Amino acid sequence: MIIAKGLSKSFIAGNDTISVIDNLDLTIDEGKFACIVGPSGCGKTTLLKILCGLEKQTSGSMLIHGQPPDPKKQRFGVIFQEDSLLPWLNVISNVKLGLELYRIKDADQIATKYLDMVGLEGFEKYYPHQISGGMKKRVAIARALAVDPEIILMDEPFADLDAQTRSIMQKELLSIWSKLNKTIVFITHNVDEAVFIGQSVSVLTKRPTKVKTTVSIDLDYPRSRLSPPFISYRERILGLLQEEISSL
Amino acid sequence: MLDLDVTIMPKMDRFRSVLIGVASLAVFVVAWQAITMATNSPFLPTPVQVFQAFLKISTIGDIDGYTLWWHIGVSLYRVLLGFAVAVITAVPLGLLMGVKPLVKNVASPITEIIRFIPPIAWIPLSIILLSGINRYIFLLWIGIFFPILLDTIAGVKRTSETQVNMAKSFGADNTAIIKKIIFPSALPEIMNGLRVGLGVGWMCIVAAEMMGGEPVGLGRLILKYANLLQIDVVVLGMVVIGLIGLAMNYLLLSGERRLFKWRVEIKA
Repeated sequence: MIIAKGLSKSFIAGNDTISVIDNLDLTIDEGKFACIVGPSGCGKTTLLKILCGLEKQTSGSMLIHGQPPDPKKQRFGVIFQEDSLLPWLNVISNVKLGLELYRIKDADQIATKYLDMVGLEGFEKYYPHQISGGMKKRVAIARALAVDPEIILMDEPFADLDAQTRSIMQKELLSIWSKLNKTIVFITHNVDEAVFIGQSVSVLTKRPTKVKTTVSIDLDYPRSRLSPPFISYRERILGLLQEEISSL
Repeated sequence: MLDLDVTIMPKMDRFRSVLIGVASLAVFVVAWQAITMATNSPFLPTPVQVFQAFLKISTIGDIDGYTLWWHIGVSLYRVLLGFAVAVITAVPLGLLMGVKPLVKNVASPITEIIRFIPPIAWIPLSIILLSGINRYIFLLWIGIFFPILLDTIAGVKRTSETQVNMAKSFGADNTAIIKKIIFPSALPEIMNGLRVGLGVGWMCIVAAEMMGGEPVGLGRLILKYANLLQIDVVVLGMVVIGLIGLAMNYLLLSGERRLFKWRVEIKA
């Protein structure tokens, strides 16, 4: 359960105070797949950093399972937009990194299990520069899952992938989520992606951002991009987002 | 097209460049021989004379009975000691200066001035203050410390912010971040600093050994025979210094290539 109440964050740049998040309220229930969309530059990444305890809010509260987020006390599985694999480690050592930082035993066994889950059996000894962009994302996902996180946070994880790989990754993520039954917070600027994978889509306003509306997507998985309800959800959210972009 | 170039060229290139290199060296030695024969100066030894000096000094030894191998061993020992002290001090300080702005602000005014004082300028002071092996270690440390320090700081700057955030998201503390992310990120630059530092150290040792002390070391060998006006041994010492410097550089470079396959791949 993630509860944000009156969350605000501002940065000081020189003499100016830049307000990035202003009075944001958000509730995500346990085990949900929640998507967050917003105009680019609205503060999505800042929100994610507060969610995993990398940044502290200026005011308001953010509680995960009743506690303020702190990666030293809780475990998060964060998947970043940029490539975050360590190029000097092979695939299995990259997956083991979180396990080693949390001093979890049987790291080899656990890492192998999650590499199998993301379909990278046999690639343990490869180095990041030897595998494709989609495979790197799979490694990052395996690394995040391996620590058995309380929540999984994804910041535009598939933004750098080509359309085909992206669509495959969306399906695989859904299948992993259905197996693990974990809360996923998935930040994207791609409305089609959000409607395809999310149980709910929260639309953020332009900066300083807050939640404009949360739309519950009442469609069964697997979803068809061509079905009329899918298209109507997509059009509705695109419309909400459009209001924000055009008022910039 | 590009693939073809990349896969076929290296083999051809390597063979040809070795061939050209050997030919160039042969031309150099022949030219050296020709010049010495033309000038006919008693102070300019021929390659053959230098080789004869090599046979003599490496088997019988010099005027004090020390063989060439002993001189080489002593010089190498001093360089490696000074090198070790420089690595142990420069790498941690460089990491700290790269990570903590406060440490950098405190240390850099001092290091920025000292690094422009050549090791040779430290010799008089070191003769007064230090003796024995400590003097050599100090002079080498002064020479080797700064290339390693500067490259370590530069290496830390290459650390990716995403990688640091990733480690933090797994609850990593500062020590873990330095160990798991910053140090490995900086390692290619640090290795480069080690290579440059070792080269500088090898040059420093000759100067340091010429300033007196024990009658051993390659620098001292050169000085002894310069005083005797036996230039063949002087040139022998110079050639040996060059060859050993080359060998050390080669060893470190091949170590770097093996260690940083993940980075070198792009060039191939």
